[in-house]
Amino acid sequence: MKDAIGGNQKRARFQALCQALRPDLLRFAFWLSRDRALAEDVVQETMLRAWKAQDSLLDEGAAKPWFLTIIRREYARSFERKRFATVDVDELIAREEPTLAAADGHDVEELRAALFKLPDEYREPLVLQALMGYSTAEIAAQLKLSNTAVLTRLFRARKQLRMLCGEDTRMDPEE
Amino acid sequence: MMDCAHYRRAILADPHDENADMRLHRDSCHDCSRYTDQVRRFEDRLDRALRIELTPEMRDKPGVVPFRARDSQAPRSRRLPRGWLAAAASLLLAVVVAGSLWLVVPGPSLAADVVAHMAEEPGAWARTDVPVPAQTLDKVLAESHVRLKADAGLVSYANSCLFRGHQVPHLVVQTDAGPVTVMVLTHESARTSMRFDEHGYRGMIMPVPGHGSIAVLERGPTADTTTMERVAAKVLGAIDWSA
Repeated sequence: MKDAIGGNQKRARFQALCQALRPDLLRFAFWLSRDRALAEDVVQETMLRAWKAQDSLLDEGAAKPWFLTIIRREYARSFERKRFATVDVDELIAREEPTLAAADGHDVEELRAALFKLPDEYREPLVLQALMGYSTAEIAAQLKLSNTAVLTRLFRARKQLRMLCGEDTRMDPEE
Repeated sequence: MMDCAHYRRAILADPHDENADMRLHRDSCHDCSRYTDQVRRFEDRLDRALRIELTPEMRDKPGVVPFRARDSQAPRSRRLPRGWLAAAASLLLAVVVAGSLWLVVPGPSLAADVVAHMAEEPGAWARTDVPVPAQTLDKVLAESHVRLKADAGLVSYANSCLFRGHQVPHLVVQTDAGPVTVMVLTHESARTSMRFDEHGYRGMIMPVPGHGSIAVLERGPTADTTTMERVAAKVLGAIDWSA
């Protein structure tokens, strides 16, 4: 009986944690994969794996980076399993049109399309920084890069985005 | 001393980097100061772009924890045909999904209406340490037949707003993490708590047994649940519902 109550509490606690993190995880998976359906699958699989391995999460405060690590692995696994063909970015954009649509303006939609065109190695650190609020050191640890490499990628990511969005780049620095 | 190219590379890599060298350079260079504004405006747009809207189905998908039966060690009394089991499982899943969605959503558009209301009073989000006059706060609460019996924190904004046909107190409480908006929704009942993340606002709607519900929300990417829960608990603890 006591075990059952403990199990229920554990389950409820884990469920609440997943529920709280789910929006951020879905967005991260979406920008990683650029595919809403795949993002949902990856997050669902991530949560199941996390549930099975929950004893390895000693500090609930560290749950988010823990989940992100699992998501990145899951996404890589799905990539290996399906052996995706070369992606046509314009096709991806057309397919994800409803998700890219923005109630708050065309400029946001334009930027979303530009994010789709950004190479993965630039998009991922940018999403970790701008969406997940990671510091340079945290991104470096997550992606197994040096701080300098992370900063270079972030610089290039924004520079490319600004160009793709037709921003005034005359004051942008050279590398 | 940092030069312009170095500064611009750094600000493009991290628009919110505020180290002393960078601040010093920006304060002394008009062009770089202008460039920073430009980059930060773009960053606001990037923040909005990254926050794709999530449908309720995506956000609240139930079943993240495996079903209890999967953990159970209880032996089965007899084997049932596979097809029958699949059909029964589908039916059970449909019932669980429908039931869970019904339970988690206190009112399909309540969160959307709360967020939409925020756009009507953008000035309320100012970060300040000046409290609203006590008489104003009392008057706002009195219009909804409540009053404060204890300290609710630094309330910097109080307005009695027409929301879904009722006057409701719209308060802003200042915290170390920034302003937190609280709407006391005595006419909106909620069966259970729900979180939402819409158009740059993150928040939660919590049931208040016997007194409707309370909506708490923050704006921007730094919004955190703990602060909102703390504010909600403090405001709820301070309200006298019998006024």
